[in-house]
Amino acid sequence: MADNIVIEFPSSYRWLNVIDLICGEIAEEMGFSRQALNEISISVIEACTNALEHGNKCCPESNVKAVFHSLPERLSVEVFDFGEGFDFEDYLRHIPDPSNIDQKRGRGIYIMQEMMDSLSFEKQPDRGMKVTLEKRLNGKAKTTDD
Amino acid sequence: MKFKMRQSSGVTILDISGKLMGGADADHFRDMIHCLIEDGETKVIVNLADVKWVNSTGVGILITGYTTLRKNKGDLKLLNVSNKIRSVLYVTKLNLIFECYDNENEAVNSFS
Repeated sequence: MADNIVIEFPSSYRWLNVIDLICGEIAEEMGFSRQALNEISISVIEACTNALEHGNKCCPESNVKAVFHSLPERLSVEVFDFGEGFDFEDYLRHIPDPSNIDQKRGRGIYIMQEMMDSLSFEKQPDRGMKVTLEKRLNGKAKTTDD
Repeated sequence: MKFKMRQSSGVTILDISGKLMGGADADHFRDMIHCLIEDGETKVIVNLADVKWVNSTGVGILITGYTTLRKNKGDLKLLNVSNKIRSVLYVTKLNLIFECYDNENEAVNSFS
């Protein structure tokens, strides 16, 4: 398997299924547990959802790009949008309680933080945002195994 | 997202297939819940057997349905929740909010 895999797709929810499949294939190839694989897939889908919703404002002409780096001890995934972005620093200071049912939105970043070993945001020089998610190969899954 | 609607012992079962995420799915689901309430059908089971995953927006869609039905003296319960969806509910602690069942009869009987 190549060390890096790049996929770029229009801002449409329909492509998230492809991201799910790619995450599953890469994580399985790297030897992640089934539960860790699920957590990677869920988190990368969240990052792509954020990119197309909040970054690109669902504009079909703006693409989302995901770059998968298969490293010896970890998987690193970078997700890029090419929109105007959003104030993630303000958001990170006010992450809503995910169990609050009056809160209809805002759980995506919380889910990524909880399921991955690291999560970082970086505004791009020209336009858009890069979100980097990492999962260690020898780390424990964050959620329960059924 | 596609759905089929059926009745069992006074409970509406929504068999959903595909992905539960943002966009048109949210409007579709909200309209469906409002139609049910107008018809006096407020006991709802969402069967997720054919839904592989939801994103956080999809979770928001379910929460909207749940809160809308609860405000109308009804309830929304989940059936056949996949491991991936369970993970999302677990990490957001929404597993404490949603009643989840693996058996349809048990889910239906829980309303009586």
